[in-house]
Amino acid sequence: MHAQPPAGHAGNPADALQRAFARIAATRMAGLPVCNPALAVAVPAMRRHDGEWLGVLLTPWALSLVILPGGGGRFRAIAVGESQDWAFPSGSYTFLGSSEDGLGPYQTCSLFSPVFEFDDQAAAEAVALAAFDALLQPGEGALDSTAAAREDAEAARLAGRPLSNQAVSRRAFLRGSLFGGRE
Amino acid sequence: MTETFYDVLRRQGITRRSFLKFCSLTATSLGLGSAAAPQIAHALETKPRTPVLWLHGLECTCCSESFIRSAHPLTKDVVLSMLSLDYDDTLMAAAGHQAEAILDEIRTKYKGNYILAVEGNPPLNEDGMFAIQGGRPFIEKLRETAADCKAIISWGSCASWGCVQAAKPNPTRATPVHKVITDKPIIKVPGCPPIAEVMTAVVTYMLTFEKLPELDRMGRPKMFYGQRIHDKCYRRPHFDAGQFAEAWDDEGSRKGYCLYKMGCKGPTTYNACSTVRWNEGVSFPIQSGHGCIGCSEDGFWDKGSFYDRVTDIKQFGIEANADKVGATAAGVVGAAVAAHAAVTALARARSKSGIDIKQGQEER
Repeated sequence: MHAQPPAGHAGNPADALQRAFARIAATRMAGLPVCNPALAVAVPAMRRHDGEWLGVLLTPWALSLVILPGGGGRFRAIAVGESQDWAFPSGSYTFLGSSEDGLGPYQTCSLFSPVFEFDDQAAAEAVALAAFDALLQPGEGALDSTAAAREDAEAARLAGRPLSNQAVSRRAFLRGSLFGGRE
Repeated sequence: MTETFYDVLRRQGITRRSFLKFCSLTATSLGLGSAAAPQIAHALETKPRTPVLWLHGLECTCCSESFIRSAHPLTKDVVLSMLSLDYDDTLMAAAGHQAEAILDEIRTKYKGNYILAVEGNPPLNEDGMFAIQGGRPFIEKLRETAADCKAIISWGSCASWGCVQAAKPNPTRATPVHKVITDKPIIKVPGCPPIAEVMTAVVTYMLTFEKLPELDRMGRPKMFYGQRIHDKCYRRPHFDAGQFAEAWDDEGSRKGYCLYKMGCKGPTTYNACSTVRWNEGVSFPIQSGHGCIGCSEDGFWDKGSFYDRVTDIKQFGIEANADKVGATAAGVVGAAVAAHAAVTALARARSKSGIDIKQGQEER
């Protein structure tokens, strides 16, 4: 069931990717309320990883990890609805297949969508770059915050406090625990 | 001698082999890995069983209907064996005074040590006269049984948020459980109904480990409500590429394009439908060609037509969810804040072997 490995992009496809999605932003996605008008299409990071092109794609409607074929032989050109699992130092991620005229097959893994949490392009690109870095590092940061959250939940349970409707302290908010965390 | 869950299951005719298989299935569905199976088995063999009282307020019983159709027959048998012992007016054998006596018995015998599962909600107008059970308002039964319970599971959108019977102008003043019972830990499992596998996993987790699953700020188990339908929807690549169905049965519909323009609430709905799916993992609304109606979100019944396009994302509750913190935080753009937002988004995106089992089987 393995599709033929598509011909890889010899050079960095970041510009081609940016152009393809800028075109989508100007046509099919133009004016839709899911778009954050403060953002523009950008590819803040894209580099060769294990023979394929790994990057991060920012659009006014999503921030996603993206993989394009680099000729490494692992990338499969899969249809929409199919997925491929990729392992990185921070863990295993499921990417969804897609294809675009003028760009060819690519796969994405969504991190944010919609993207109204970003006030401006700089904020979104900063998070995009941070995500790209964190993807390629063993992910300890997230574990810390869930462990703290678990302790909070357990402490609340033991004290008989309801877990919903709890006030969020400034400290908990900044620390990113269960009641102040992103997840 | 204290009675354990294992004793009960054996008495109900479940073999040890089935029991051990159940333990490994549970470990997997909770995303704990096979190493946790012996721990689960040990807990069920040695700890005194935790009784569950399952109450029904104003509701349509779709939660129960969903629950008893859990995908794996073994899970269904075992979990029902655990539950049917005590009180559930839809499933129990007892009736009349005999049935009501069970409530008192459990309250006294297991004071502070039983789980109260509530399907539906109490109407508060006219002193609760819109829901009478055994000759008394449901609200009284709820307050009494809640007073001595260890924790409450709010099944479905009725118990969690109010649902259609609380639609404006809410003539009976149907009120979600957490607004009536404020001194107990409450786990909300919203959805109309919730997914069967999610229900059995939550109940099994609580009975096995005697603690609450990890909850989000809204009181929902994170392992199943941490993601929006949109985040893992198989049609997501069409959304990302701006390919939408523009009318029912148009070319885009037939090609399976994104249903956002047809009113799909996937981008604003936290639930596991797009990963766990329904009917033994066969399908879910979007896969059948209809948009998500957002049935697990607070207020979905009062937010206009199911076919209205989501135009004001914030109106649909994202602001009230965990993302609000991200929104404020990302606005500040400290490097540490950006890193935190990135790391948590990656954690959310990572494949979770537990709840993605069904989807995983379809992949090669």
